[in-house]
Amino acid sequence: MIPWIIGTAILTIGPMAWSLYLSFTDYHLIRGGEWIGLDNYTAVFNDPMFYRAVRVTLLYVVLAVPVKLVASLAVAMLLSQRRRGMSFYRAAFYMPSLIAMSVGVALIWKALFANGGVQDRFMGVFGWDGGGFLGNPSVSILMLVLLAVWSFGAPMVIFLAGLMQVPQELYEAADVDGAGKWHKFVRITLPMLSPVIFFNVLMETVGAFQVFGSAYIIGGESGSPAWSTLFYTVRIYTLAFTDFRMGYASAYAWLLVLAVGLVTAVMFRAAKRLVFYAGEDK
Amino acid sequence: MINNSHRAKRRTLLTGAAATAALGAAAACGDDGPAGTADDPIQISFEWWGDEARADITQQAVDLFQEKNEGIKVRTNFSDFPTYWESMTTRMAGRDLPDVLNMDYSRLLQFGSNGMLLPLEGLVDTSQFIEGFLDTGYVNDELVAVPIAGNTLGLIYRSDWYEAAGVELEPGYTWDDYHQAIASVTAELGSGSQWGGGDYAGQYHFMELWLRQQGGSFYTEDGTALNFDKSELTAWWSRNAGLHTDGAVPPIDVTTQWAPENGFVLDQLGADLGWDNFLAWYAPTVAENGGSLALAAPPTDDPSSIGLYLKPSMQLCISATTDHAEQSAQLIDFLLTDPEAIAILGTNRGIPATSVGRENVVVDEISQQVLDYEASVEQYLTTPPPPPPSATGAIEAKFGEIYEQVLYETMTPADAADTFFTEAETLLAAEQ
Repeated sequence: MIPWIIGTAILTIGPMAWSLYLSFTDYHLIRGGEWIGLDNYTAVFNDPMFYRAVRVTLLYVVLAVPVKLVASLAVAMLLSQRRRGMSFYRAAFYMPSLIAMSVGVALIWKALFANGGVQDRFMGVFGWDGGGFLGNPSVSILMLVLLAVWSFGAPMVIFLAGLMQVPQELYEAADVDGAGKWHKFVRITLPMLSPVIFFNVLMETVGAFQVFGSAYIIGGESGSPAWSTLFYTVRIYTLAFTDFRMGYASAYAWLLVLAVGLVTAVMFRAAKRLVFYAGEDK
Repeated sequence: MINNSHRAKRRTLLTGAAATAALGAAAACGDDGPAGTADDPIQISFEWWGDEARADITQQAVDLFQEKNEGIKVRTNFSDFPTYWESMTTRMAGRDLPDVLNMDYSRLLQFGSNGMLLPLEGLVDTSQFIEGFLDTGYVNDELVAVPIAGNTLGLIYRSDWYEAAGVELEPGYTWDDYHQAIASVTAELGSGSQWGGGDYAGQYHFMELWLRQQGGSFYTEDGTALNFDKSELTAWWSRNAGLHTDGAVPPIDVTTQWAPENGFVLDQLGADLGWDNFLAWYAPTVAENGGSLALAAPPTDDPSSIGLYLKPSMQLCISATTDHAEQSAQLIDFLLTDPEAIAILGTNRGIPATSVGRENVVVDEISQQVLDYEASVEQYLTTPPPPPPSATGAIEAKFGEIYEQVLYETMTPADAADTFFTEAETLLAAEQ
């Protein structure tokens, strides 16, 4: 424990406390700054770029989290069957999550979604005339959603473990009662899986709020095209390291901490009613 | 900085001792290859922006430097322009700049006024610079940057396309003439993926040029505020709307996908305002595509005022935190004044700023074109504006981003101008 506590104190708690302090100053990355109280926080709420970044980030969370979870659950159910060669498929589906954050993949992604790229030509067959997502601000966020969905390895593995834990007797009993596949899924699989689903929803939502790497590589500091991929974290990065406004950027960052904390608290509240733990009296 | 003299002394002692050791070692075992200082060399780092072609020749020059100065090892690194500045600004915060670094005029104040750069007077050989060039290297009356080369704005255009369309850019042509030229060339090309010219309103350098032509400037003299009003910016950002409606210039969703390449290199663009030394970048590929490029003075509504000035295309600086100021200065002197190095580096960064550079550089056809152009506009060159304020890098980026909103029609030019003023004023205030 001791090394862990030292590490957390020095590498996490320390910088966090420092940034909390900075958020109340007009700290310039090079020249330092002075205490200005809540000025940064009031300025954030008067900053039109703040609302843009929030909109982009919320849209991403709302799109990416459900699609990614549904896809990973579906694949996990396919992979939970006991057949030959399953471990190969599991590895194959897990693989993308290991490389999705790499620069190489982001570059391939850009090529796929450029004008005249695979997506443009494929969708063109169905009458799409919006060009590649890469240059079209009204749909460019879908590139990042798809990148997130494609790398669903982590929640998939967790779902898979959860599915393996569902007692087979329940399904056998349902068979005896003549329940169909859909009925079994809704009445047995989902309730038995609900703690795992809750865990995955929580982790993915918290993660989606903080998406940075892929957005930064694909959209750059400016969230191109036309600020449509200007995620909250990208805005923080630009404020801190291009504009040098470390104090202001810290205020931004702490508002994100608060927002994510709030969302997590609401989810735990909801979980009390929605999550079923086996062995619990209800 | 207080320690400088001590450091220098220690270094002289060390170098002296090392040199003695080297002599001894060389005498003792002459055929054992380089020994002494070469075994324990002083390491300095040198970074610049540019493409691989530039990296190749720069590395050759650095290798030659290492050959001639056995006790010094140079670690080199390069990246493209935006990446380079992202890296430098982050490392500036960590006081971790390379010993020798490439500087851009628009960033000079940001680094220089924050004490990141070492004063170069007496350290670097300044006797060779051509009159006027050093002026742009001063911050608070201290020389902190020396120019490698100079450049100025011009209009780069596809002379083969313009000739085929029968369009001539007569000296003294106006902005309206330029727009008509673009439209005629695009119509003549008629391909749908090639255009007679590009939208130029997204770059603050070109708006600065337009303001200078009218006797104005982008920033106030003291660099604390913008020196134009919202209506001027609205006008600037509205002026290309007609070209877009007519399809005479490439649409924004096409141009955003050009980076890191360029419309000329991709054989899609017929004309653009730009720095004249960029000709060396575009021309070889354009020639491979069977085309040719030419340079003309930028359009102006007042033929007596083109708004041009000679700007250092790149500067070299030494980090204030370097442990090896002398060796870093040696490298700079070598790159700028050694005849062999000059021959290797050529005109890749522009026409050299030193007289020994001009005497020794091999001028190829493309560089000759640039030289001829600069000679032709020399009489119009005016005093450079003072170094732009520290926030310029960020303001330049915002200028382009916000104009994108206009092009995607998510903002009107007037709204965009409002947004730009808010952003720019915040950035300028944060730097004061």
